[in-house]
Amino acid sequence: MRTVAIFSEADRESLHVRHADEGFCVGPGPVPRSYLNIPNIISTALVTGCDAIHPGYGFLAENARFGEICADHGLTFIGPKPAVIAAMGDKATAKRVMKEAGVATTPGTDILDSVEEAKRAAETVGYPVLLKATAGGGGKGMRVVERPEDMERAYTSATAEAEASFKDGRVYMEKLILHPRHIEVQVLGDEFGNVVSLGERDCSVQKPSHQKLIEESPAPHLPEKVRESLLEMAVRACRHVGYTNAGTLEFLVSGENVYFMEMNTRIQVEHPVTEMVYSVDLVKEQIRIAAGEALGYTQRDLQLRGHAIECRINAEDARNNFSPQAGTLTRVVFPGGPGVRVDTHVYSGTMVPPYYDSMIAKIVAFGASREAAIARMERALRETVIEGVNTTIDMCLEILATPQFREGRYDIGFLPEMLTAGAAT
Amino acid sequence: MARPGDESVALMSDEHQAPPLAQRIRALADYFVGTDLLRLRIERENEEIELGRRHMHPDLVPEIPEDLAAHEAAAARLEPIKADLVGIFHLSRPSISAGDLLEGDRELAYVEALGIRNPVRSRGAGRVASIMAEDGRAVEYGQVLFEIDRG
Repeated sequence: MRTVAIFSEADRESLHVRHADEGFCVGPGPVPRSYLNIPNIISTALVTGCDAIHPGYGFLAENARFGEICADHGLTFIGPKPAVIAAMGDKATAKRVMKEAGVATTPGTDILDSVEEAKRAAETVGYPVLLKATAGGGGKGMRVVERPEDMERAYTSATAEAEASFKDGRVYMEKLILHPRHIEVQVLGDEFGNVVSLGERDCSVQKPSHQKLIEESPAPHLPEKVRESLLEMAVRACRHVGYTNAGTLEFLVSGENVYFMEMNTRIQVEHPVTEMVYSVDLVKEQIRIAAGEALGYTQRDLQLRGHAIECRINAEDARNNFSPQAGTLTRVVFPGGPGVRVDTHVYSGTMVPPYYDSMIAKIVAFGASREAAIARMERALRETVIEGVNTTIDMCLEILATPQFREGRYDIGFLPEMLTAGAAT
Repeated sequence: MARPGDESVALMSDEHQAPPLAQRIRALADYFVGTDLLRLRIERENEEIELGRRHMHPDLVPEIPEDLAAHEAAAARLEPIKADLVGIFHLSRPSISAGDLLEGDRELAYVEALGIRNPVRSRGAGRVASIMAEDGRAVEYGQVLFEIDRG
């Protein structure tokens, strides 16, 4: 198969361009003028004679309109059908569809009309609850309510704050999930109605901004009953919406309770951990499915083997709120050896531009056991040399060394708490 | 106290008593004119001295070869006309050739993208120095299509 890479003027020297058979510049550095420049991207595909477009995992990957435009020009969009992308991209619609499919969603209410209604609803939902502004964002108009006697004050202040911030005082209620883990399920579906799950990934090591930093598969200490229920729900949901190609359903897991959060209708950054433990090339599967081929295997054929961990290497100052770093990488040495995989677009001399996501590499380690995978990851991270910008390597090593991570007992509060504790000492 | 009024030798401060000072300045100035420096500043303990000159000695001005100078001047007059979108490059008819004089703004070519003809104009008068893209071939964003001599 031959490939054409698109790139912006800032990415001309990027490795992905060198690896492709052809490269085409589609615009200047800023994203709206290049990687979101649909006319130039489509035109590139047409003038180079492409059959299909793989959208990667950013920019246009979850843009239903882009999928439609591809189809209008006789190009295959490697991903689900535009209508499915549109439905799953809207959180309210996605939640409703999941409910129909019998998937557990976070218990909650629609817009609340009065404090009395809020009190009644909270008894059903179960304390603690979260009041959220429907127009909300940035925590404005949001209140945690732990006891019935606190409801009146919280409701009054949440609606007042929402009114002041958004000129829309309407609030709704959601159950507050305490100490949740972020666990997601990888799925693949073909055009013939075959759907399989490829296990789960634990993505609970998240920065205070909720961006993932370390992911692993399988999720440590996940009760078998919970795991089976997650995988079964994911497959059922995909069958219900006629999902095709690769996708991920994200859940919050608290104890034995699971709640659907959202679906990503694309390949994800952390897909390599799944590829390693299932010996499957997910991108190849995406292309095969888009070409109209059947999966050719069933759930029973997919056997989980070993354990895999991914560390995201970002050009960021981890000690300074993970602030992005732009600059030239004066020296780059990546690790090697058995069970180590590096996905990257950089090398010595690469200029990290200020326009894009700060991730510069993903280091993935495989082991027969979780302990072996951690040991291999530590070795790989110590072997890695990146000079010229600050990176998350040391922070990842620090996380891997904590008892919580080593024992596999952490939730999404772990890294923010570790950073707060570190700042206090 | 030495107080050179000459702008080429400015003494910033002096706590020492001459005689050595005037001699030192003389020696320094002799050394300075032998270099191709435009300014020399020395700071030491509580002493600062700065030497400067307005013009380079003619013998010391590096000579630029004439053909290189001419080449650079020509390059400065050359204006690239770049593709601002991805598509197939076509020369407009009647087609121009390298060396042609352009009397004003005119359409030189067009880039066909998604079935739309996007004109490429000369953006003023000049001489076509070179045609950098091939008729009928795909061009990428930012690719130089023509060089126009505005001289």
